[in-house]
Formats: sequence, C-alpha cells, structure tokens
Amino acid sequence: MKIKFTWRIWLWIIFVLLSLIAIFITPHFMQNGVLITSVTKNSSAYEQGLRADQVITAVDGKVVTSTEEYTKILQEKFVSNESVKLAITTTDSEYIIYSNIAPQITVSNLPSTNLNLGLDLKGGARAMVQAEGHKLTSSEVNDLVSVVSNRLNVYGISDMSIRAVSDLSGNNYMLIEIAGATPSDLENLISQQGKFEAKIGNDTIFVGGEQDITSVSKSGTDSGIYSCEQTSSGYYCTFRFTVYLSESAAERQAAITNNLTVKGSYLSKSLDLYVDDVLLDNLSISSDLKGRAETQISIQGGGSGETKSDAYAEAQAQMNKLQTILITGSLPFKLEIVKLDTISPTLGTNFSKYILYAGIVSLVLVAIIIFIRYRGLKSSFAPLLICTSEIIITLGIAAMIKWDLDLPSIAGILAAIGTGVDDQIVVLDEAKHKEEVLSIKQRITRAFGIVIGSFLASAVSLLPLWWAGAGLLKGFVLTTLIGITIGVFITRRAFGDIVKMIEE
Amino acid sequence: MDKNNFKKKFADFHDKHYKLLLLIPIVLLIGCFIYMGYFYHQNGDFIHKDISLTGGTSATINSESLNPSDLKNAVSSKLKDVNIREISDLVSQKQVAIIVETTSDENTTKTVLEDYLGYELNGDNSSFEFTGSTLSENFYNQLLIAILIAFFLMAVVVFFQFKTPVPSLTVILCAFADIFMTLVTANLIGLTISSAGIVAFLMLIGYSVDTDILLTTRAIKREVGSLNRRMFESFKTGITMTLTSVAAVLASLIIVGSFSSVISQIFTIMTIGLLFDIFNTWLTNVCIIKWYVLKREKKKHEN
Repeated sequence: MKIKFTWRIWLWIIFVLLSLIAIFITPHFMQNGVLITSVTKNSSAYEQGLRADQVITAVDGKVVTSTEEYTKILQEKFVSNESVKLAITTTDSEYIIYSNIAPQITVSNLPSTNLNLGLDLKGGARAMVQAEGHKLTSSEVNDLVSVVSNRLNVYGISDMSIRAVSDLSGNNYMLIEIAGATPSDLENLISQQGKFEAKIGNDTIFVGGEQDITSVSKSGTDSGIYSCEQTSSGYYCTFRFTVYLSESAAERQAAITNNLTVKGSYLSKSLDLYVDDVLLDNLSISSDLKGRAETQISIQGGGSGETKSDAYAEAQAQMNKLQTILITGSLPFKLEIVKLDTISPTLGTNFSKYILYAGIVSLVLVAIIIFIRYRGLKSSFAPLLICTSEIIITLGIAAMIKWDLDLPSIAGILAAIGTGVDDQIVVLDEAKHKEEVLSIKQRITRAFGIVIGSFLASAVSLLPLWWAGAGLLKGFVLTTLIGITIGVFITRRAFGDIVKMIEE
Repeated sequence: MDKNNFKKKFADFHDKHYKLLLLIPIVLLIGCFIYMGYFYHQNGDFIHKDISLTGGTSATINSESLNPSDLKNAVSSKLKDVNIREISDLVSQKQVAIIVETTSDENTTKTVLEDYLGYELNGDNSSFEFTGSTLSENFYNQLLIAILIAFFLMAVVVFFQFKTPVPSLTVILCAFADIFMTLVTANLIGLTISSAGIVAFLMLIGYSVDTDILLTTRAIKREVGSLNRRMFESFKTGITMTLTSVAAVLASLIIVGSFSSVISQIFTIMTIGLLFDIFNTWLTNVCIIKWYVLKREKKKHEN
C-alpha cells in the first residue's frame, strides 16, 4: 500500500484537528482555580465587581484548585455571625469583601472541555409554561420572559436560560432551564402570578412593581428576622423589612388615611396586604400617620417549622419571595406549568459513562462484522477510525455553536454513526468488485451515488422534527444532520480515498 | 461444490417462484392492517402511549434499598395508573434507582411518595418529569404530522432519484411496510411509546431506505452481470449494513437501555425495525424489482 495523502484526506485531518481544538481548548486552558458560574445581583460580592466567568485562583492567599477546597476555606471562615474580611483573588484582580455571610456566588470546577452537557446529563430543572386559558402571542411570551427572568434573578437564581419557544401549531411557550440544584419552590416562583396589593378597606394603596415601589431593603438593619417564638406545634419566626413607596403611592395613602377615624393609638382600619388575592397580613396604622404621605413602610410576615432552624429558614424563604414579588411586580398572566422536569445530577454521570462504553462496544462489533465479511484488517480498522472522527467532528461543531448535548442529541450522534457505517460498507463493497471493467475511481464514485441518495432521503425526513414538539427534539435533528452531512461530504469521502489506497 | 450447487438451486427456485413469494409480505401486510384496525377499535389510538404522550408524572428515586413491589402496593391506591420499574447497575446488578410512572400530577405524586418514604425528595435524591395532558396531546399530534411530512419528503427524494414509478413506489412501500410492521409488533408486545419512540420510527425511515436504494440502484441502473448476480451482491452488502446496525443497536440497548427509557425505547424499536427491513428489502423489494426488470428486458427484446 502506497500512502498518498489526497486533498480529501487532508481536509478530513484538518476537520478532526479543528474539532479537537474546539472541544479541548477552553477559555481557561492551562489555568488553575474555580470558575464563577453565577453571582447574586446586589450581593456584596456583586457590588465589589465579581462576575460570572471569572476564575478564582486563591481565597485569603490560599491557592484554590477545586470546588471542594473553595467550600472548605469558606466553611472554616464563616462560622459565627460576625463580619469578617475576605480576599478573593481572580486571574485578573483581587477583591476584598466584608460580610457576615459567605459570598453569594456559585462556583464550579474549571471545565476540561467546551462541551455543554444538557440537563438530562448534568441535572437541573426545565419548565414549559403557558398562560391559563389564553393563547400567548409571541410578543406576550417575550414580555413574560423578561419579567420572569427578572424575578428569578432577584430571587437569586442566575445560572439559567429562559426563552420563548413555539411549536408547529403556533402555540407559544416560555421555556425555563435551570442548571444544577433545583430551588424547592421553583413551581411557585415561575407560575405564581405574584399580584401584591396593599389595601385599606377596598381602596388599593400600592401594588408590587416599580411603579409604586421605589426600593425594597434586602439586607442590613432594615431587613431580617427579628423574633422566633415557640408555639404549640413548633416555632414561628417573624420577618420584617422596609419598603420605600413612590410619592404618588404615599399621597394615595395620605388621602385615604385622612378619612379614617382615630381609635386609641391606631386608625380605624388597617393596611391589608394581599398576595394573589390571599390575605397575607394586616398592619395596624398608628394614629400619627393619619393624612401623612409616608414613603417608608415596614412589612412583616413569618414562617413556622417544627424546629427553630426550620422556622427561621422558612421565614427567610418567605421573606425573599415576598421581596421578589414586591420588586418585580405581578406577572401579566395567570400561568400554568405544562411540563416540569427536575433531573437529578447523580444518574447523569453514570449515564454518560455507560454511553461511552456502549459507543466503544458498538464500534468494535461493527469492526468485527466488517472483518468477517471482507477479511481485511486495514479495511475493518478504517471504519473505526472514520466513525470515531465523525463523533469528534460532530462534538466539535456542537462545542463551537455551544449546543447543549441532551439525550436526543446523543441519540442523533448514534443515528448518524449508524448511517456512516452503512455508507462505508457500500463504498468498501464497490471497491472490492475487482472483476468489473470500471476503474476503482469510477466504482467509488458510483458508490457515492447510492450514498448521496440515502443521505438526501434521511436528511429531508429529519427536517419536520425541528419544529415539532416545541423544539424539545431539535438536538436529535441537529446532531444527526451534522453527522450525516460531514459524513457524506468529508469523512466518508476521505474513507473512499483510504480504501482506494488499500486496494491499489 | 456444495455452495455453488445451493446457489444454483436457490436461484432456480427464486426464478420460478418469486411472484408467489410476494404473497408472504402481502398476507403479512394485510394481517397487520386487520390487527391495526382491531387495535384502533379497542384503544382508540394507533399505539400504547406512555405518560409523556398521555400526560402524567415520571419520578426516578435514587435508592439502592427501596423495594419496587412494596412501593407499588403502598402507592397504587393513591396514584392513578401506577407503573414501577427499577434501574440497576450493569456490572454489579445492584439496584440504582426506581422509576414510578403515573398519570397523576407532579405535586400529588411527590406528596404520596414522600409520605411513603418518610423523607423529602429533592434534586439530589430524585428526578421528576411532568407533562400536562393538553401539551402531550399536542406533542403527539405534531409528531404524527412530522412523520407524515417526513415520509412525504422522503418519497419525493426517492422519486427524483429513480424517476420511474415502479422502483420508486417499491422503495416507498418497503419503508412504509417496515414502519407499519414495527408498529404492529410494538403493539403486540405491549411496548408503550413516548415522544422518543416516535423519533425512532422517524429514524427507521432513513435506515430502511438505504438498503432499498442500494438494491434498486444496482438492479435497474447497472448492466454488468446477470440480474440475479447483481441482486445477490447487493444482498451481501445490504445484509452486512443491516447486521452492523443491529449489532450496534443491540449492544447499546443492553448497556445503556436500563438507564433511560428514552434510549431503550429508541433502540428496541430500531432493532425490530431493522429486522423487518431485512425481510422487506430482501423479500418484498427483491421480488417486485425482479418482476419489473425482467418485464422491462422482455419488452426491450420484443422491440
């Protein structure tokens, strides 16, 4: 066999190399540290300038190379409720934070590849949302997307993607994907309309959202849990935080309180707080507020639990939710979750491992069958090489376009490899027909006639799936199309030339 | 030379009876239609839909010790249409997780399971997949439309390729027979089908036409060697193609199948479909195309 590198083989090699670069040369190639995946907005870390995608190399001068080390340092540091100084070194700068709680950032180990695993494999939550009893238009969905992403951000979730999707019959949905641990009240956060109203009698004084509320304290002395009491069934903790009203809301309050009568040290009616038409609390209004345009209001509520720490956590969660609703306002529609998947990351890792095993075993079996059929070591080894390269190139392109590799995408890669093997057998077979008058070049060209025919038939049959099912199966279409296209035009062409080399 | 003798005898037999052989797929196809009619009458649908298409919840609880039958007894009365499976590690055969499928909604399922288990189910110890019934019905209809459009587009491409009605229609008929017979088999063995399963049927379109295109191209577009010879060569190529696919799909089914119902369904349907592809390509398609080519040759001689 004379080794002759034709342009097709060169093209193939270049594609494989470029794909390997696309997969393995990450933005943090050769760096050590942990990657910031999200920073809670308006937290002390955020205010100091820490942002997602920065790489933390050291904390308080101690080198950090994994999330375990990072967590350990922080756990040792924040044991009491006292404010301490924390120095976080990133690749470009150093940030000093004074706080009594650990910085509100999430970190992950530096990724070793550019491949994005989908929720099926790395765990997380996915929700598809529709309006109840109303067909959303695409602009309505876009409004909804911005309100909900704001709400989740304010709540403290930032590692997420929210987008509008539509399906073949023109239904529009909002699709929310959150990586990693799922917040336990995700359902409420997404679908609760969050209509906040403060009323005196039947008159609305102010509602949630920026029109009536200029700001909400989320930290400091104006916000927090100030008491916990034992009750008959456990504990009850009370939270309190300050809300700043707009001038117009304050004047509305003044006008209405002016008409109230004074009863002892309070006014005759109370300020009632409703969330989605359910009474949350009623606050007595002290008599000196009569007719006064007060912009500062203290809101309280509580949470109960079996133990004190349960009640404390519950009160804190309730407070965070209420603050979120007050800041972001109510959703324009009553929503309904039509699909909700929460996927545990534990099975995912195992699963990826077994997919890899399955891939290797399948390829070896294919090689054995080809060997039995054609009795050539080289010709049974070549398909292995080509198939592996097709997987690499498909993954390379997926990494380049930042595609999330979910289960359908992996099924797509397998499907493409399957047609790849078939095509190579057609080529190999034509090349072996030595008794024919045609030259090997003509025979291989003829083989590609068949290959292109089945390529076109497979490719067009995939297309409708792109739009069906609100795009949840897009991954399958994409990886199969990438696989069979690069297969027919690059890798299987190179295979043709390799076979020519083997046979000549 | 036993081998050559057999080949010759087989060729003689085939030459004599190939039209008669066509009766086998015809009878089978009619049988499938009758069964499907009956099935549709009974179930009001073409398939046994799983919860991703009927709407409902699938909960995966990561647990090595949870007993599936105890769990089933405990929750059956509280949840609708409960179905429980277990996932085990391939090597150690140890249970890794339990999957509970029900048409009840997510909140109810979670509460009932938590009551039984006595601990909270969260992202670390469980996975939940919930699909509302309107959405799933919508999904189902769209996937059916997608398959129909896919089939139509494939037919257009095949027509364009051969430009003659009989061979093109044969390829299309064989693809249809593959999918239809696979569907009937899936129903017979009681396989419940999810949206991923429907995707598998779509994959079958691609896998089934390639051997048919190979056979048809070699039978009608080539002149070297006798028709029987060309068809037999195609058979050797095609059967290698299908066998490699079956081997790969079966190996994957055994290794990853228990982990994910999505993957296991796709691979089960693929395996059945590929086996029917052998039948439909090398019996149905071969006989029709032989009839067609011989008739065409006869016409040529007469002119």
